[in-house]
Amino acid sequence: MTAAEEALNAVHGGQTDVEGYFTYVSGVGYIPRDIYKYVKSNPFGDLPRYSVHIVIQHILIFTTFIALAATGIALHYSDLFWAPYVIRLFGGIDTSQLIHRSAAFVMIGASVYHILTIVGSTAQKILKKEFDIRRTQVPLPKDLFDLIHDIKYFLGLTPHRPKMEKFMYKQKIHYLAILWGSFVLISAGTALLFPEHIALLWPFDPAFLQDLARIMHADEAIMALIIIAFWHLSNVHFVPGRFPAQWTVFTGKITREHQLEEHFLEYLRNLSEIPEEREYMRSLLAELGFAEREGSLDETRP
Amino acid sequence: MKLKNLLIAVLAISVLGSGLNGFSEVTAADRENCLMCHKYPNMARIGEDGLERNYYVDEHIFLNSLHGEVGCRECHPYIKKFPHDPVTEKVDCANECHIKPPFAEKNFSHREIIDVFKSSEHEKKAEDSPLMKQSKPDCKYCHLNPLYKRVDENIISFGETLDRCLNCHQKKGVAEAYLHMTHRLRHKTSRDSREIVSLCAENCHGDEQLMQKLGASAAAVEAVETYRESIHGKMTALGSEKAADCISCHASSLIHDIYDKDNPKSTINKDNLLTLCKNCHAKINPYFVRIAVHPSIKEPHNPVLFLISNMVLRTILYGTVFGLMGLLFLESYRRKKDGIGMKIKSGSSWRNTKGLK
Repeated sequence: MTAAEEALNAVHGGQTDVEGYFTYVSGVGYIPRDIYKYVKSNPFGDLPRYSVHIVIQHILIFTTFIALAATGIALHYSDLFWAPYVIRLFGGIDTSQLIHRSAAFVMIGASVYHILTIVGSTAQKILKKEFDIRRTQVPLPKDLFDLIHDIKYFLGLTPHRPKMEKFMYKQKIHYLAILWGSFVLISAGTALLFPEHIALLWPFDPAFLQDLARIMHADEAIMALIIIAFWHLSNVHFVPGRFPAQWTVFTGKITREHQLEEHFLEYLRNLSEIPEEREYMRSLLAELGFAEREGSLDETRP
Repeated sequence: MKLKNLLIAVLAISVLGSGLNGFSEVTAADRENCLMCHKYPNMARIGEDGLERNYYVDEHIFLNSLHGEVGCRECHPYIKKFPHDPVTEKVDCANECHIKPPFAEKNFSHREIIDVFKSSEHEKKAEDSPLMKQSKPDCKYCHLNPLYKRVDENIISFGETLDRCLNCHQKKGVAEAYLHMTHRLRHKTSRDSREIVSLCAENCHGDEQLMQKLGASAAAVEAVETYRESIHGKMTALGSEKAADCISCHASSLIHDIYDKDNPKSTINKDNLLTLCKNCHAKINPYFVRIAVHPSIKEPHNPVLFLISNMVLRTILYGTVFGLMGLLFLESYRRKKDGIGMKIKSGSSWRNTKGLK
């Protein structure tokens, strides 16, 4: 068991709220929790976060999402004054209908691509015995504790943020919401596109199923649009430290200070996987006067 | 060189000349000289009801309209002398006029289609209340003799348009002429779907109070509102020519045969729905036609969907949006207080962090 794994297990072993200020990594030293305030970061990213597949999928999803939302919302609010102008922008209602359906087709394709990527890489990791559920999007009890801990930090009740994995609670909420939202939008959209066939699936009350699909498709889309436009975009690009943009969306890399602040445990894995990063952190600690002092500090607050 | 210039000049003059010719045609059609008086824009009188009525005829508009070929006294035959007495009679569209349509032996008349209209729900009946009689439309309510809009020939099939031609014209000759040449000579024109919806909705079917007074069923009172909620209504509102408007479903190609849905002749009668929907939805089945064309998720009709839409989904939406946004603001506030700046400057977005704890 490596030092990083020991530190990880200590955090996952229920000690999340009684957090150690220093995390000891052998060969590197004692890393203080707020080291992210002192590291150097390249705005375009320092550490690997997403594979090229995930970057391509995200680009496909967000471009089609914009087209789908613009054409769909204009159709849903057809009685509002701006709707005809948006539709005219897309070349008339018949063209915009075609655009909506084509974009939906591409988006479903990207979703299938994503599922294949996830299933494939998970299978690969299981075969190599590298699979670790803590590194995935699967919600765990720790996420709830992290959320409570983080709210305490936001309210000033605790000095430091929790040590979180590659995917923190925010990302897990969002990922689950996207899974549910895609399921609703794709199934309801299919019901709207093929009413003849869907009527056969529920012959007892086809009107109910169709109306349900109509309501769910619109409602889920509006919810997705509001969450993306107000929460996701500001969270990722407009909050302090991320402004004016995070380039992870294109480069697949995360900045060092961001990784340390919100994904500290993933950073510990980076230390054991990337020798250059280990070297960088060791020299930074020496520079700041935190050179490895065997036995002088333990895992609790000094 | 000179020859070329001359050719251009001749061409220019002939183009200009043909343009002028187009205008000069306009004055030629007033055979009865009615425009001698009716050409004056201020020609008007104050009627018994105290309202001013204007009798001006803009010949340019009239002659370019559908009835431009028809002389004034074809529709106003009661005018026998000049200048004429005050007009008391209304125009009867069932008149026979002295125009023979192409390929026909008889003079033209709207008689046949008027007979269809008279059998329909819109004809004034003896048992109708006075309000009902007043509310029912006459020919002129819908047929304002407008200049119709161009429609995409690819969307509306030849057969569909021809069916409408044959409402008034005889099949022999006209069908061939239409299929072989007419569509090449001029573009197909029609009333816009939006215009049809607004004709039905304005003043009558969209006026819920009036519809209630007339004793319409609950579904009929809300018909316009629920139509606008449907995908047909939304597509039509945004200018689609493909989506169904009112008469796409409520009448056959005869247009005027609008009946109550319990009437077996009605296109929207239960037994006729399969044939009706098949006009647009090719892969049809008996379950599909039970999908609501005028959907309503209001409480009395659909309590389950009303609950889902207005309670469950609303709560989830507001809860999620306000919860997450609150967390976001709280987080930004604390991180800002902790010393973070907006942008990464010289490798770090954290400011004033001298000395570790």
